[in-house]
Amino acid sequence: MLKAENLSRRFGERWALRDLNLEIAAGEIQCLLGANGAGKTTTINLFLGFLEPTAGAAWVNGRQVARDLNAARAHLAYVPEQVSLYPTLSGLENLVYFTRLAGKAAHDRARLQEFLERVGLAREAADVRVEHYSKGMRQKVGLAIALAKDARALLLDEPLSGLDPKAANEFCALLMKLAEADIAILMATHDLFRAREVASRIGIMKSGRLLENIAARDLSHSQLERIYLDHMNCPDAAC
Amino acid sequence: MLGAIVAKEFTEYRRDGLVLAILGLIGALILVGLLSAWATHVEQEQQVLRSQAHDQETFLRQGNKPSHSAAHFGRMAYKPPAALAVFDAGASPYLGQVIWLEAHRQDPAMFRPAEDAPELSRLADLSVAGVLTSLLPLLIFVIGAGAFAAERERGTIRQLMLAGAGIGAVFRGKLIALASVAVLVSTLVIAASTAVAIASSETTSTSDTLARGAGLCVGFAAYAFACAGIALFVSARALTRTAALLTLLTIWGVSTLALPRIAASVGELMYPTPDGPAFWAQVAEATRAARPKRGSAELRGIERLVVSRAIGREISGQEVASLQLNRVALGQEISEVLGANAHAAVYAELYAIYDRQRRVRRAASILSPTIALMHWSSGIAGTDLWAHGHFALEAERQRQLIIRTLNEDMMLNGAHQGYEYLASADFWRTVPDFEYGPPPSIRFSMRSALPDLLLLLAWIVLAIPVAWLGARRQRAA
Repeated sequence: MLKAENLSRRFGERWALRDLNLEIAAGEIQCLLGANGAGKTTTINLFLGFLEPTAGAAWVNGRQVARDLNAARAHLAYVPEQVSLYPTLSGLENLVYFTRLAGKAAHDRARLQEFLERVGLAREAADVRVEHYSKGMRQKVGLAIALAKDARALLLDEPLSGLDPKAANEFCALLMKLAEADIAILMATHDLFRAREVASRIGIMKSGRLLENIAARDLSHSQLERIYLDHMNCPDAAC
Repeated sequence: MLGAIVAKEFTEYRRDGLVLAILGLIGALILVGLLSAWATHVEQEQQVLRSQAHDQETFLRQGNKPSHSAAHFGRMAYKPPAALAVFDAGASPYLGQVIWLEAHRQDPAMFRPAEDAPELSRLADLSVAGVLTSLLPLLIFVIGAGAFAAERERGTIRQLMLAGAGIGAVFRGKLIALASVAVLVSTLVIAASTAVAIASSETTSTSDTLARGAGLCVGFAAYAFACAGIALFVSARALTRTAALLTLLTIWGVSTLALPRIAASVGELMYPTPDGPAFWAQVAEATRAARPKRGSAELRGIERLVVSRAIGREISGQEVASLQLNRVALGQEISEVLGANAHAAVYAELYAIYDRQRRVRRAASILSPTIALMHWSSGIAGTDLWAHGHFALEAERQRQLIIRTLNEDMMLNGAHQGYEYLASADFWRTVPDFEYGPPPSIRFSMRSALPDLLLLLAWIVLAIPVAWLGARRQRAA
């Protein structure tokens, strides 16, 4: 569903991402770990088409993003650290708006309400203005937008940052449900523990390079932490 | 998709406290302006009707009287207020309402409403058009500042792009929503003003007032779209919503408050209006220059024209000499014809100066659509200088008719009596009353103000594509 082929991006003299090769199939959750500036967000922006690659290509469901942006985006949903919604509209109104823009006008309000309930947003909260929402509630609306859009791939950039443990748990449970529904998920995060809980594969990035991409089931939490810290503590950018 | 974008924008406007506050302010000021204009209009119209009736009665009750005394006594021409003065008083408060129709002299209008206005009312222009002209852009700019800048700040521009909304659809939706608010507000206000004008005016035609109302709607709609284009351009290019708002507030202050006044002052500096003594000196000089030499062919030609008009057929020069006429009256009528031509030339030059001043202001419309709208609004409301000029011209025709009627009566019926001739008490009824009707039609106003509408349309043609170019360069990343 998501594929990166030698995907690279340079800002001036600095390579933010170099030769990324990655494939995420439907139903897989790929997590990307790494320090700030490792290239996680750049990777997501290249898949979303907000950045153009300096070299290589990003593919979404067989469509090359740089060449066929609208077709690629039709399959994508995106949940950033701060989900961007209209504060004076309610959660349901935001959902109605974004789904109508996505051409899913056939979804009636009852159906959209169901999407919100599926992501755990209470019925009474759906009609409250988003300016009164907690971060977790906004994340849920972001996921509901992805569901209502019928996106085949979900890109998440630090979605767990700032969530309390209960909200983070609920959010991870939702992600796993989405993966079971054959959605390919790419999540950038600093949270090793949650990454280990939800991911099919965990990639460790440093200085724009993907150093390792490990199957999560092969790792314990402590092993993952040790591998990660070894890479981070290594003075060489390539290790 | 466009419908969804427009509907969402409207929902956001409805829930924005600042937008509601500005709408409330506009509503309150317009209510005050409309009520006070309505009361003034009704009072003025009644005054005109009462004064006209009184003037007529006085004229008819003169009894037996020397014609020339009656010509100097004269009559008054009262200008009825334009129906849509309730919407836009234009220049009318600064122009006289009554013209004294007397012998030898084409007087300017006297009794300016502004002279009688309470001092405090001079501090603010609370005319309905004034409120709309200055506050509509403020409303558009406050709403429009965040159109793109806030989308970028919140990050929703990314969600829009990902949802599949092209920047073209987003731009069109925002433009339609933004301009629609102002168009809706101005149309409602103009409709209410037109209804008040029709209900309160006894002297103007309903269809003409309706046509003028429609013309005002077109002008204000063009203004709204031009302002919306400016707002979207600034919002698309500004780094933040606050920066966009500050830029737009500066544009608002300069274009609606400063530039119209600066343009008027520059026009006056470039083409100064002569003051009273200078104007009358010009009239005296023109009258002296227009006077042909005694016994000249030109003078004989005018004499023949005057006598031919009086007896109702063409006559020769020899016949003039043989007719039994009051020669004093003949001389007075010749003097009237010459004087009227001299006055007309000096007044034409005065209006040419006003026109040059207007051209300067129109040139300044390139910097501010507000100036073009002010011209268009007062022109279509029938309250600008050109509508007043139409009245002054009709009053002058009436003056010439009255004086000619008096002179001809004296000329034909008072042979050999000189100044001693007395017009009979019944004679005054034969002098036609001044009926200023219909006042200049919408066509007259359109001809005069059409360049201003074209300037407003040019603003749209410029502002919207430039705003689109700015919006197209949005970066979601």
